[in-house]
Amino acid sequence: MSGRFFKGVSDSESESSEAESDILPTRPHPAVTSAFPVSDEEEEAKRVVRTAKEKRYEELHTIIRQIRNHKKIKDISKMLSGFENLTRAFQKAKLVIEREENNKIPTFYLRCLVELETFVHETWEDREGRKNMSKQNSKSLATLRQKLRKYSKDYETEMNKYKENPVEDDEKEEESEDEESDESDSDDDGPMDFMKKPEKEVKEDFKEEPKIDKDVEDDDESDDSYWQGSSDESSLTSDDEKYGGNRAKNVFERDTDKTKETTKRRRKPKEGEHRKQRIHEEEDEQEEGRWKEVQRGGIPGEKPKMFSKDEEINHQSVIKKLLEILAMRGKKRIHRSDQIEMLVELLDICGAHKLGPAIETKVTLGIIAALFEYNPNVSPCMKPENWQKCLKFANLLFDILLENPDIVVSENIAEEAESFTAPSFRVHGCALTLVEKMDEEFTKLLQAVDPHSPDYIERLKDEKNICTIIERLQTYLEANQKGTSSELCRAYILRIDHLYFKFDPLVFKKREQQAKARANSLVNGDGVQTEPQDEEKKEGAVEEKPEEPQIGETSLEVIDRLCKYIYAKDATDRLRTQAILCHIYHHALHDNWFEARDLMLMSQLQHNIHKADIPLQIIYNRALVQLGLCAFRHGNIRDAHQDLLDIQFFGRAKELLAQGLLPKPQERTPEQEKMEKRRLLPFHKHINLELIECVYLVSAMLLEIPDVAANEFSVRKKVISRSFYNQLRKNEEQPLVGLPESMREHVVAASKAMRVGNWKACRDFIINDKMNTKVWNLFYQANKVREMLVQKIREESLRAYLFTYSHVYDVISLATLSEMFDLENNIVHSIISKMIINEELMASLDEPTQTLIMHRTEPSRIQGLALQLADKVTNLVDQNERLWDFKQAGAFGGQQQRMGYQNRQENQNRNYQEYGQRQERNNRENRRSNYVRN
Amino acid sequence: MAEWELTNKLGQYLDRHLVFPLLEFLSTNHIYNEDELLQVKLGLLNNTNMVDFAIDVWQQLNPDQIPPDQFMENRIKVVKQLKELESVTRPILELLTNEAISQEIAKARDVRQLLDYLQKNHGFNPDMIDSLLEFAKFQYECGNYSGAAQYLSSHRMLISPNDKNYLSNLWGKLACEILMQRWEAALEDFNRLKEFIDSYPFFANQLHLLQQRTWLIHWSLFIFFNHSQGRDMLIDMFLEKKVNYPKQQTNNPYLNAVQTMCPHILRYLTTSVITHRKRREHMKELVKVIQQESYTYRDPITEFVECLCVNFDFDGAQKKLRECVEVFDHDFFLVALKDDFIENARLFVFEIFCQIHECISIGMLAEKLNMTPEEAEKWIANLIRQARLDAKIDSKLGHVVMGTQAVSPYQQLIEKTKAMGIRCQVLTMNLEKKLHSVQERGWDLS
Repeated sequence: MSGRFFKGVSDSESESSEAESDILPTRPHPAVTSAFPVSDEEEEAKRVVRTAKEKRYEELHTIIRQIRNHKKIKDISKMLSGFENLTRAFQKAKLVIEREENNKIPTFYLRCLVELETFVHETWEDREGRKNMSKQNSKSLATLRQKLRKYSKDYETEMNKYKENPVEDDEKEEESEDEESDESDSDDDGPMDFMKKPEKEVKEDFKEEPKIDKDVEDDDESDDSYWQGSSDESSLTSDDEKYGGNRAKNVFERDTDKTKETTKRRRKPKEGEHRKQRIHEEEDEQEEGRWKEVQRGGIPGEKPKMFSKDEEINHQSVIKKLLEILAMRGKKRIHRSDQIEMLVELLDICGAHKLGPAIETKVTLGIIAALFEYNPNVSPCMKPENWQKCLKFANLLFDILLENPDIVVSENIAEEAESFTAPSFRVHGCALTLVEKMDEEFTKLLQAVDPHSPDYIERLKDEKNICTIIERLQTYLEANQKGTSSELCRAYILRIDHLYFKFDPLVFKKREQQAKARANSLVNGDGVQTEPQDEEKKEGAVEEKPEEPQIGETSLEVIDRLCKYIYAKDATDRLRTQAILCHIYHHALHDNWFEARDLMLMSQLQHNIHKADIPLQIIYNRALVQLGLCAFRHGNIRDAHQDLLDIQFFGRAKELLAQGLLPKPQERTPEQEKMEKRRLLPFHKHINLELIECVYLVSAMLLEIPDVAANEFSVRKKVISRSFYNQLRKNEEQPLVGLPESMREHVVAASKAMRVGNWKACRDFIINDKMNTKVWNLFYQANKVREMLVQKIREESLRAYLFTYSHVYDVISLATLSEMFDLENNIVHSIISKMIINEELMASLDEPTQTLIMHRTEPSRIQGLALQLADKVTNLVDQNERLWDFKQAGAFGGQQQRMGYQNRQENQNRNYQEYGQRQERNNRENRRSNYVRN
Repeated sequence: MAEWELTNKLGQYLDRHLVFPLLEFLSTNHIYNEDELLQVKLGLLNNTNMVDFAIDVWQQLNPDQIPPDQFMENRIKVVKQLKELESVTRPILELLTNEAISQEIAKARDVRQLLDYLQKNHGFNPDMIDSLLEFAKFQYECGNYSGAAQYLSSHRMLISPNDKNYLSNLWGKLACEILMQRWEAALEDFNRLKEFIDSYPFFANQLHLLQQRTWLIHWSLFIFFNHSQGRDMLIDMFLEKKVNYPKQQTNNPYLNAVQTMCPHILRYLTTSVITHRKRREHMKELVKVIQQESYTYRDPITEFVECLCVNFDFDGAQKKLRECVEVFDHDFFLVALKDDFIENARLFVFEIFCQIHECISIGMLAEKLNMTPEEAEKWIANLIRQARLDAKIDSKLGHVVMGTQAVSPYQQLIEKTKAMGIRCQVLTMNLEKKLHSVQERGWDLS
């Protein structure tokens, strides 16, 4: 048995090596070792005598493989030529087949045909895709389809049979796909092995001992050792001496394993668990393989793969080897995973020989770079295993760098100027860039995972690791002034980027503590009448302030520090802008409204943000939203509304905040969509959209409803919030209004209640269990927010009430009003005073009786009409003037600039007072005249 | 008490010598420990050349001891330095005192020509100019302000506005004038400096510009609260939206400086606005600024305005007004304005009160205005008599009844259509102009 088996095996070996020299990108999966000697041996190994059958089959395989590759890249014209080659080759092989296989068409050939057929069919059906195809391709597709149809007629029966019973191959297919995704090309070898061994033989082999293999792993091991022994012999005896002895051995081992796998696979064709097991085994195998190599590497002199026996291992040789490995990158037959493993091994060797940290740094840098290059494409993310590896090595790198401050790693050091031997090591490379790249990869990883799956959480756990790495990078760069200021800025912005959206409750605790401390010191200060005026003294007093249990540096302070550094040192405007925006965001997140607002105003970003790049605009939008939410928490409704207006205006908050794509694919090209997808924020950075909308609508309600009440009949009523109106209108269009369900319906219902001054109903609509769980509980100090909100609702309801019903009153007692709205007397007084001063309310207070007296002038009908006419004429003049201005401005001033935050701020007070100043009066008149007319 | 004391903050933006008046004022005020004040004063003096003054202060601090030798050493050094500088600057001073030359200087229009002339005819050396400035500075440090001012004005004659020392010259001159309390001259210098800063083309650096403005604001307080027209100017400086700041049409740069660097100046601004005749125009703007800055700065005066104009909380305003009195007592700049402020603040409260109310009881009003009812009644009667208030006193009930404010539709209509005539006129004029120009161009084309 061993003989026969062995023969088959050696055949396959020669073939695979042949194939390798042609186009095969890599060796079978774990064959790391065989790839190591980058030498000429392989070429020589080609000279092996082969049978005609092998030759033909070989040819066929090659072509099939090519076709498959073309299929992957959808190069149909190449596929067509490949197909033609295939038929020709098959014709040639026919004789052999007849002789060897009893005229039975080999399965792999059938499989290829079937695959081709399905592929062509699918591509043909996919009209969209066909349209996008290049001319040449679509032409070839048509030809291929025809030819294939014609050709497959001859083999119809066989193909059908195959289709019906593709069991083994399907199994293999899946496997190979698995492996494909593993980036190991064993799928190329799989079918080959499988074909190469005459099936019966193998089957027989295992029929003889079908139960022995039950305990697979044990069996493997025993087999291994068995084969190892024999292969050693064989390598000495039967194989050509041209084979490097070890190499043959290694390959041989691999192949025996492979054979076993194949056979095993065949024996248990159906179960999924088998696959799992197999993968497991493969891993085992891999480990085994690695373990073996390392074992061998343990005695450095005898390490054949990395270094020849007598080669001395010193800095130069390691560097040479490293360069050699790195130079392999991009070459076809070297697989990237091999490269990585070689590098890892090299690192071990460095460690074993104590070649110094510098060289380890160099190798680690190489490994990380190689890991990043693993994916040829930019868009897909890394595999989690590689990601883990990446993290590991990044940590290792910083271990080395932080322990050995005498290593200088810099991009500015040329490769030639590197020194590894003596202290004050110099290495070419850049840790910062690596970490930046890593951060990007992390974002991609998160983007690729469904945010609602446990996987996401699993991935997100690495956030902590990456933060640590960034922090270590920062310490590394800060220590000994290693980094230039621009590098430091970049490192800081990385840190900020991972910090700014996180909420730190310590900030609040610290704030409370400080407030308490201040109160204490104030009490003390008042006690001492003659407090020294001297500056130093005062500062001293501040320092002595009794501080309770210390809270360390909060995230707010960290951000503050980092941002200030960037403000001062950054030379590129972009980083500074980003830092400012993150700073604003963070301030707003922690309720530092004034600071956030001032930063926003001082940065003047609102004027030029539309010139910035899109990621920056996204951060701007986020900062703005957060600022709005913060303003809301502070009770600055108008600011909150203004901040959120831009985001909510077109109902595209999701897109503007990069938290999702709009479901309108026809509006953008696939490239655009891809770009947008890449810009999407990972889920954990999202701001709750419903919260934003709710805050916006509630703010709009608080502003709009009293205004509506005041300008009920006015022609020139300004709309404060259009989207709020849309909600209202939608609600009114409904034939039957049920109980509010969604958040929007709640707000609309509340607005209606407020419109008639029913503040209790309004409150109940805004603040209830449903809304609490949906929205309000998302705030940190939810109760405070709710209190604020209730207060606002009361006040604004009072205003709405006065506007709506003032004409039915002659005199209202303030006490009644305060009772009605559950407001304190002085607040009612203050609100009414404000309304009177702003001429919104035509009334005055009667102090002795504490009542509000309405002033009413009853215009006669003619007077009312005259007023209306005056209104209309004014309108006309306004229109004329506007027209004139427009003509004057011509093409230049036509477009109106987007009103900036600053302007809005300024308008704010004005607006507040202007609204309905005179209009209020008019309304009343209008109303009355209408009344009279009726 | 000391809570609202601003000397600490103001001092950061003032010259050493300008702080002395503030400290003198504080020592008469007795809110701080006398010894500590002296200590501070000594600290300030140590870096000047006023050694005798320093010795005085030291002796005040340590009444029974002999001043340490260090002072004497300093003194000798200063005297020596003075001699040196004098010898260096003698030629130029002689030149300048020369009758003929001073006439020539007065005549000269161009600085360069003048220099040329001096160089040719009088053996003048350009290096002398710098030594002159140095000497002036030394004199200033010695406390000889009038001398310094004199040298500085001569110095300015000899340099062009593009000279690197021009700015220092202006600042030095301003300081001298302030310290000599010559307010008219100081105002002149202040305006010159302000103009220079506003138009100075080399302040590419906004931060630098902001700094200069902040200093200027602080120094100008001396002038504004001593000059008879000062407060009007202060309001102009901060609240007028003049066209001559082309870059920032929206924001007054000085107000901006106040908001970013020194919100405590709001106290002075508020006071000025309240005591101003036409306060109403500016109140709105001021209230906005106060609200915006309320988190960085608040004191009873700004709070008073806030109570009154934002919250309409008259009781609160009353309380704040009482606190204001204390603040005024302890503020170097404001102490003279106390009565004026109180009177105006009262009037202000009353004004707003009248706007809102139709009928007010005198008793309550008296309480709100911090007066006895009799006083209040008299006060109101006076107001009515001066036709500043449209109201009647119902002495039986003790009420003040406001004149009706209701607007008749007739008036309303007039108000509405008032502006329309002018607007239409402007519009037609514009149209005509346009038509005219189009016609002209049309002829050209044909």
